[in-house]
Amino acid sequence: MITAGTAQGHSKRGRDRAFPRRLFARAWALLAGAVLLCSSVSGFAAPPTGRGAPLTVFAAASLKEALDEASAAYTAANGQAVRVSYAASSVLARQIQQGAPADVYLSADRDWMDVLQQDGLLDDGTRRDLLGNRLVLVAPRASGAAAIQLRPGVDLLPRLGGNGRLALAMTASVPAGRYAREAFTALGVWDALQPRVAETDNVRAALMLVARGEAPLGVVYATDARAEPRVYVVATFAPGLHAPIVYPVARVKASRHPAAGAFVTWLATPAAAAIFHRRGFRVP
Amino acid sequence: MFEFTPAELAAIALSIRVASVATLASLPFGIAMGWLLARARFPGKSLLDALVHLPLVLPPVVVGYALLVAFGSQGVVGRALAPLGIEFAFRWTGAALASAIMGFPLMVRAIRSAIEATDRRLEQAAATLGATPWRVFTSVTLPLAWPGIVAGAVLAFAKALGEFGATITFVSNIPGETQTLSSAIYGLLQVPDGEAGIWRLAAVAVAISLLALLLSEWLVRRQRGDEVT
Repeated sequence: MITAGTAQGHSKRGRDRAFPRRLFARAWALLAGAVLLCSSVSGFAAPPTGRGAPLTVFAAASLKEALDEASAAYTAANGQAVRVSYAASSVLARQIQQGAPADVYLSADRDWMDVLQQDGLLDDGTRRDLLGNRLVLVAPRASGAAAIQLRPGVDLLPRLGGNGRLALAMTASVPAGRYAREAFTALGVWDALQPRVAETDNVRAALMLVARGEAPLGVVYATDARAEPRVYVVATFAPGLHAPIVYPVARVKASRHPAAGAFVTWLATPAAAAIFHRRGFRVP
Repeated sequence: MFEFTPAELAAIALSIRVASVATLASLPFGIAMGWLLARARFPGKSLLDALVHLPLVLPPVVVGYALLVAFGSQGVVGRALAPLGIEFAFRWTGAALASAIMGFPLMVRAIRSAIEATDRRLEQAAATLGATPWRVFTSVTLPLAWPGIVAGAVLAFAKALGEFGATITFVSNIPGETQTLSSAIYGLLQVPDGEAGIWRLAAVAVAISLLALLLSEWLVRRQRGDEVT
């Protein structure tokens, strides 16, 4: 009886006090197995470089449809796969500064290209101005808003209604937002407009807000307005109101891809220019 | 180094406001849902559980877009609430809504676990002593589950403080109105010499989170102290 009680007490105490060793060991084995499995999957290996590998292009968000078409044409002609990452030019520039593996960079303004050039991150010899664009004021198609003349001192607040907002890209960093702010400042209306804006991550997000009818007005590129059937242009900004909208392109110096330079050169050929021109971009 | 610009101060104040409102407003719903999932048995319970966890597994941008479609000025719910004066589009209330929804699954998980861990026999004992179900809930279940509820609230608050994807998609980035700490840091990331501002705001975010954790510790300890005496 005493023995049984002691034995029971021992094992009970033992169970309570002992570290759950078997469970722990099993958990570690499972974790180690998972890590080994993951590392053996090729997805975690560094991306292959060389002619067979896809070319990585970082491009401004406003180039979405045009560059998709152009890069598809390039792939069809040369058999070289191209993959494009679209975002605000400012975001992409910061990523390249942090070592993102881009082969080619296509920015929506010269400033961000200059930033990378000053940091020595570009193959300077490959830099060229590729495209131009115009800045426009858009409204939702269903709103039926009338055309506006963008003269100095123009009052857009009545167009926004009681609590409507003007959608545009972030004015401190994204090219489309900077051009817009520059233009409104030149017209002398930025101070009145600033409390009524909604700043978005990139120009396409501003386009989406107008397309959905959430914002009665928005500032986007003429090419964006063409690409979105749910908005229409109510005014075009005179080119003199802002810095010339220029899309420079360059090869990233750190790129090891042999086709990067060829792609940059191809973008300036008449074949590529025709594609961009059809979408509304200005080509030199 | 530690001079805050007016925009940064506005972002800090807005973040605290948005996160606090989001947490406090969703707390009753979180407790109700936690209790429902812990105690009640009904057809479709698993589906409800999955729905509650949806914001946790969906990409935040998707949640933000869904909110825009539903609660925007053109959305179904947005249009219904507009005559009542309740607006979410491009307002801090929209940021609070986005944060509340993103933090809801975390809050419910913590509260549900806490309620499941309470001894049902104590609730039954209170019932046999004549307490109504509501009295049982407020005098037995809630106090016992209190540490879990506080933990759920802290989790939701922290998530609300750090919320970015859903907020910027739903209410965009409006300084003073919807530019939270996260949006402000995101904007500064893209300005060539914004580093100093980023570190300042990050330090404030850490400080706020620490304060929230300390507050939660005190809330739990205080309640335990009451029980002992």
